Amino acid sequence: MPHSSELPETGLPLAVMAEALYLSNLLLMPGLSFLVLLWLWWYRARAPVLARAHLAQTVSGSLWAGMLLVLCNAVIVLLGGYDGPWTWVVVITYFTFCHSVLVVFGAYGLAKAMAGQCWRYPLLGRPLPEGCPDGSR
Amino acid sequence: MQYQSQAVAKLYFTAAIGLFAGQILFGLILGLQYVVGDFLFPEIPFNVARMVHTNLLIVWILFGFMGAAYYLVPEEAERELHSPGLAVLMFWVFLVAGALTILGYLLVPYSGLAKMTGNDLLPTMGREFLEQPTITKIGIVIVALAFLYNIGMTILSGRKTVVNLVLLIGLAGLAVLFLFAFYNPDNLVEDKLYWWWVVHLWVEGVWELILGSILAFVLIKTTGVDREVIEKWLYVIIAMTLITGIIGTGHHYYWIGTPEYWQWWGSVFSALEPIPFFMMTVFAFNMVNRRRRNHLNKVAVLWALGTAVMAFLGAGVWGFLHTLSPVNYYTHGSQITAAHGHMAFYGAYAMIVLTIISYAMPMMRGRKAANSNRSQVLEMWSFWLMTVSMVFITLFLTGAGILQVYLQRYSDTPLPFMVVQEKIALFYWMREVAGVVFLAGLVLYIASFFVGSKDPEAAVEQAASPTA
Repeated sequence: MPHSSELPETGLPLAVMAEALYLSNLLLMPGLSFLVLLWLWWYRARAPVLARAHLAQTVSGSLWAGMLLVLCNAVIVLLGGYDGPWTWVVVITYFTFCHSVLVVFGAYGLAKAMAGQCWRYPLLGRPLPEGCPDGSR
Repeated sequence: MQYQSQAVAKLYFTAAIGLFAGQILFGLILGLQYVVGDFLFPEIPFNVARMVHTNLLIVWILFGFMGAAYYLVPEEAERELHSPGLAVLMFWVFLVAGALTILGYLLVPYSGLAKMTGNDLLPTMGREFLEQPTITKIGIVIVALAFLYNIGMTILSGRKTVVNLVLLIGLAGLAVLFLFAFYNPDNLVEDKLYWWWVVHLWVEGVWELILGSILAFVLIKTTGVDREVIEKWLYVIIAMTLITGIIGTGHHYYWIGTPEYWQWWGSVFSALEPIPFFMMTVFAFNMVNRRRRNHLNKVAVLWALGTAVMAFLGAGVWGFLHTLSPVNYYTHGSQITAAHGHMAFYGAYAMIVLTIISYAMPMMRGRKAANSNRSQVLEMWSFWLMTVSMVFITLFLTGAGILQVYLQRYSDTPLPFMVVQEKIALFYWMREVAGVVFLAGLVLYIASFFVGSKDPEAAVEQAASPTA
C-alpha cells in the first residue's frame, strides 16, 4: 500500500471544502466564509482540476448569491418603501425562495464534490475546465 | 418480488392512492371555500371539509407507511412476513373504520357524531387532527398493535438491519405517541402541551425515522451503493433528528401558557431542525452520484431525490422561517404556517410514500424491476406537475401569510381578521389554480398505472461507470 504522500492528489478535500464554505457563507457565517473561499481560490492554479472546478463554481455562485440576495432585496426595499406591506411580501418570499435554491445548488455541489465529480452550477456557474470528471454516464 | 407475502403491501398502497385523491378533492373544495364562503354550504361546511382534508392526509400516509413496512421488512429480514393473513385482516379493519369515520364527518353533525360514538364515556374528540371518534381511535390502536406485532415478529426472527430496526423504532414510536390522543385534561395548557406530543413528535420525530429508513431502503436497492455506507448516513440523520426534534417541540410552547424558558429551548433546538433534512439531501444526491448501476426504475430514483429536496425546503427552510420565537410572535397560526404545512407534508411524507410505491408497485404487478418507458415518462410528468404546483401553493400561501401578518398583527393600525382575509383573496385564488394543476398531476400519476402497462419493461439495466 503506497504511503499517503505517494497517492495521486485528486483535489477532493479542497473541492469539498469549497462547497462547504459556499454553504457556510449562505447559512452560518456570511462574509467570513466567503473571504476564506476567496483565499483558497486565489491559489487555485496549484490545485488539481477537480478542486479548481469547484472553487470556480462556488466563488461565482457566492458572488451571484450576494447580488441576488443583498443587492436585489435592497433595490426592492428602496423602490417599494420600507413601510409598504407589499414590499415585505415580495422581499421575504423572494429571499426565502432564492436563498433555498442557492442552498440546494450547494447541497448538490457538495454531493458531487464528495463523489469526486465536477458540476456546473445552473445559470450561475463558470464553464468547467478540460478533463473534469462530471460523472455523466 | 423476493417474498410472496410482500404482496399484501399492494392493498395498502392502492388504498393510500385512493385516499390521497380524496384528500386533494377536499383540498380543492376547501381552497374554494376560502374565497367563495358558501360554496357547497350547508352540505359540506368549511370546518368539515378541513377536517376531512387533514384526516385523509394522516390516514393515507399511515396506509403508505404500513404498506412500505410490509414490503420492505420481509426483504430486509430475509424471510416471509410473520402473518400475511393478519396484515390483510387489519387492512380491511383500518379501511372500514376510516371510511365510516369520514362518512360520519360528512353525514352527521360533529356533536351528534360525538354523542353517537359514546365520546362522553372517554372524551377525546374535538381537537385539531385528532377529531376521530374515540371508538375509531381505539380501532387505530388495535390496528397499530397488530401491525407492530406482525412487523416485530418478522424482524425479530429474521435478519436485523439498520434499515428495519430504525423503521421498527419509528413505527413503535408512532404507536406509543398516539396514546396521548386519549389523554384529554381539563386544563387547556396541559391539553395543548400533550396534544403536541402526538402531533409534533410524530411529524418532527418518529415519522422522520420512518422516512429515513424507507429512503435508505430505496437508495440501497436503486443505486447499489454498499449498505454500510448508507447505514452510517442513516444513523447520523436519525440521531440529528431526535437531538433537534424532541426538544424542538418547544417551538409549540411559546404562547400556550408554559414557562418562559421554552422561548429559548424551542428557538435554539428548532433552529437546528433543518440539519437532518439538509443531511438527507446531501445523502440522497451523494448515493445517486456514487451509484454502481443505473436502475431501470428511473422514476423511483427521481421520487427519492425529490423527497430529499422537498423535505428540506418544506420542513427545513419553511419551518425555520417562522420558528424563532420573536418571529413566531407575529406569525403563529397565520397562512405562513399553512405554507410550511403544505410543503413539509408533501415533501417529507407524501413523496416518500410515492417513492416506495413507485419502487415496489411495478414488481408487485408482475414486472421484473420497472414499468415501461411510456408509463415512467407519464409518472415523471406527474412528479413535476405535483411538485412544481406544490412549490407555487407554498409561495402563494407564504405571500398571503406575510401580508396577513403585516396587516393584522404588525401594522400600527391592525385590521380585523375577516377584513384581512378579503385583502389576501388574490393569493387564495392563485393557490386554488395551483391546486388544480396539482390535481392534474395526480390524475396523470394514477393514469401511469394503466398507460403502457402492456408495453415491454424499460431497457436492460447497465452497470454505471466508476465515479470516485
